[in-house]
Amino acid sequence: MVSPTPALGAFPSPFSIETPPGCEGWQEMYPYYALFDERRRDEDENRFWFWNSMHFPVPYPAFDVISIDGPYQAVGSWQNRVFAVPPAMGIDYRLVNGYGYISGNPVTDPAKIAERAEFFQARAGFYFENWPELYETWRGRMQALIDELVALEVPGLPEYEDDDVAYTTERNVSFYEVLNAYNRTLRLSDLMWQNHFELLLLGYGAYSTFAEFCKAQMPDIPDQHIAQMVAGIDVILWRPDAELRRLARLAVETGADEPFAEGRTPAEIDAELAESEAGRAWLAELEAIKEPWFNMATGDGLYHYYRNWKDDPTIPYASLVGHIEAVRAGRDVERPTEQIEQERERLSSAYGDLLDEASRATFNDLLALSRMVFPYVEEHKFYCDYWFLTNWWNKIRDFGALLTRHRFLQEVEDIFHLKRHEVGEALDELTLTWATGGLPLGPRHWPAIVTRRRQIIERLAQWTPPPALGVVPEAITDPMTIMLWGVTTDRVREWASQSEGGLVLNGAAASPGVTEGRARVVRSVEQISEVLDGEVLVCGSTSPAWAPIFPKLRATVTDIGGVMSHTAIVCREYGLPAVVGTGRATAAIKTGDLVRVDGTAGSVTVVEAGSAA
Amino acid sequence: MRAVEYTRPLVELRSGDEPRYGGKSAALGELLEAGIRVPPGFGLSREAYAAGRAASGDRLTVPADVRAEIAARYEQLGRSTGEPQPPVAVRSSAVGEDSATATFAGQQDTILWVRGLDAVCEAVSACWVSLHSDTASSYRERFGDGREPAMGVTIQLMVDALISGVLFTCNPLTGDPSMIAINASWGLGLSVVGGEVTPDDYLVSKVTGELVRETLGDKRVEYVPDPDRPAVLALQTPADRAAARCLGPPELAALVEVAKAAQACFGSHQDVEWAIARTGSVPDNVFIVQSRPVTTIRTPPSADLTPSRSAISMVMAQFGAAPPGKD
Repeated sequence: MVSPTPALGAFPSPFSIETPPGCEGWQEMYPYYALFDERRRDEDENRFWFWNSMHFPVPYPAFDVISIDGPYQAVGSWQNRVFAVPPAMGIDYRLVNGYGYISGNPVTDPAKIAERAEFFQARAGFYFENWPELYETWRGRMQALIDELVALEVPGLPEYEDDDVAYTTERNVSFYEVLNAYNRTLRLSDLMWQNHFELLLLGYGAYSTFAEFCKAQMPDIPDQHIAQMVAGIDVILWRPDAELRRLARLAVETGADEPFAEGRTPAEIDAELAESEAGRAWLAELEAIKEPWFNMATGDGLYHYYRNWKDDPTIPYASLVGHIEAVRAGRDVERPTEQIEQERERLSSAYGDLLDEASRATFNDLLALSRMVFPYVEEHKFYCDYWFLTNWWNKIRDFGALLTRHRFLQEVEDIFHLKRHEVGEALDELTLTWATGGLPLGPRHWPAIVTRRRQIIERLAQWTPPPALGVVPEAITDPMTIMLWGVTTDRVREWASQSEGGLVLNGAAASPGVTEGRARVVRSVEQISEVLDGEVLVCGSTSPAWAPIFPKLRATVTDIGGVMSHTAIVCREYGLPAVVGTGRATAAIKTGDLVRVDGTAGSVTVVEAGSAA
Repeated sequence: MRAVEYTRPLVELRSGDEPRYGGKSAALGELLEAGIRVPPGFGLSREAYAAGRAASGDRLTVPADVRAEIAARYEQLGRSTGEPQPPVAVRSSAVGEDSATATFAGQQDTILWVRGLDAVCEAVSACWVSLHSDTASSYRERFGDGREPAMGVTIQLMVDALISGVLFTCNPLTGDPSMIAINASWGLGLSVVGGEVTPDDYLVSKVTGELVRETLGDKRVEYVPDPDRPAVLALQTPADRAAARCLGPPELAALVEVAKAAQACFGSHQDVEWAIARTGSVPDNVFIVQSRPVTTIRTPPSADLTPSRSAISMVMAQFGAAPPGKD
């Protein structure tokens, strides 16, 4: 909670941030327009920028910048050019030492706002009135997009072209096919982002209107109750875990559960399963659900690091081990959907009953609208962020493999240290020299660049970005900043007053309860496997994809995020106290610190510093 | 049967008896009728007050016939407890007080831990006299309903409270009807009502019973019965006890039920004084000692979210597309 008249601190100027030692030249990894540049210093220095640690918790590899450009091209298009949200255009971003800072572009001219309002009312009205049909066709479009992506082939460069190139017009020569495939791959990402944001703004808008109405009528209502009233029960985001629970029961019932034990790798478990009849039958069952449910990602998908469960089964296998243990112990592993639904209805009618008749009617209307849009708000993540993106990064890996075969790169993953236009450039040279039989410079050019950038990224990962830069705003009025990131005027003032540090962090109370435990600071998804039983997860933001490890946790603390996120709902379902949006938990808390998490009040206290691990 | 009735057991009083017995006694009768735990007792009517006035003028002593009725009721209370001279609380129950429009909070005397018929009658007389005390009269002039000043008195068995306090069936600071605001401190309720301690402050969801917020107080004074004479003693509380949380989950849950029951009983938000007895176990030892309508409730602001507009137009407003008042 903020005090009524907080001391207004200041955020550092974006131009005052120093480059960490050994990271000189980091700027060359990024587009010219993504930097704080002297040529627009006056404008940029006088804006409020906040670190989008929800989406950019670790420094951006050069290629992954497509996961900033794409979404901001798309969200800006819908918000600013299609729906014309009256007071807010799109979001600008800048990279500082590899971390993304963002700032909304407001519309301030009243005449312009009025002009935009007409567009907005007509177009948003159309969407709300036709939502179920629009969502249905949206799903169809996403499915088609995913099908096209999966079918897209990254061609090789053969010694001699096939006969059908020579004798028919059905195929083009391979230089074209490679460049075209790369181009198409990039455009598929653009299309995904277009779909991603088509319905999202309006979905969040409906939800946050309901939330604000509840808070106006019942100022002390816990945010989690609002989320509970709206959250879907059978959204597909729950399906992967539901399938794991089913498979866990099946394993125990068919006697295939023996190999599942703590500390064993998925490969070891698979190998042992393959030795028995029951094990092989179980593996076949697992295989059958992998499409699509193992397209769940290990993280929120914006970085190439996030793999899906097919590629990295650590999380689902850890989850299977836990579920199987529970089944053996005779515990119920089913998600208590009936109970959750009953509680949802009970809360809704109990809160409705507290209101007068007119307010109750509005409450019910807004709740119905929120419930109509919310499945999309939750499910788009599975389609876009997990299913599409994890497979899309693999397509980029196929290009990485092509470049590696021709020695432009030393290994597949190196491709992510090139900017996407540099990859285009490298493919241009590769196809050119393949065609001409000339000497490619690429193998003597790119590997050194990759090596240097990999080092820079590793070093930048050690640096802790301040939560905000530039001026402290009078108020945060941009509805998108508030709705999507939970960055409110209060939150910004807390950041400003806390920028000097301290042992107590404040954030939003996302899931109630008070607990103490040792902190585990997780800054990238690879570290998620380091989390031990009974620890407090401290991270930039959590992903619903991490849900299967939640039973291990004692509490969750994040740098950024709002209480309407699916993550917050997952925490509440697991009964984990959670504080989100602290601004600097990953900076202020070290792994091993004993922390007290008050998910009811929204505060985190470092009780005792851990011994340096 | 006499035409003039001086006393009646609380359990037989209803809100319609307010003009004769005062709001406090009538409210307690309603709560008892609703099955809510209230310490047993009886009310004195305004006729008893009038008889006192007729007999002794401004001295307002208790006349013999009133005393005889009090004696019978008090003895009855004694029989019900097995203690011949049980300690009681004597509180004014002024007519016009406890109405929904003004709260004459603490304006009349409350005398705790009174034992024996003589002491009870003295306490009754003290309550009557307080009707004319300056503060109460001026308060009455400003907020009263102009009726002839008159007063009932409530006489109730004392709860030897381990913990006591006040609760509101809404959050009085925000007007949130989904919350119950509870103040609690050690010992008898005097310390909370009299503002002598900073009580523990709890905000509990009426819907789920979750503790939404708590601020532990500094409860440095604790009122307890004086073991040597029929009166209460103010004890200095040791520092660790002063800071210790006095309500746990079972107590909070019991108070939530009590609050909901009181609100349902009167159909309006209530300001309730409660006590948890030293003996017995929760929830059976949780009592309401008085309940009156909340008169200072803040109406939640509705800003640009004026109800009665369509849901979609409200979402539009959220995006800044439909200025308040225009659909």
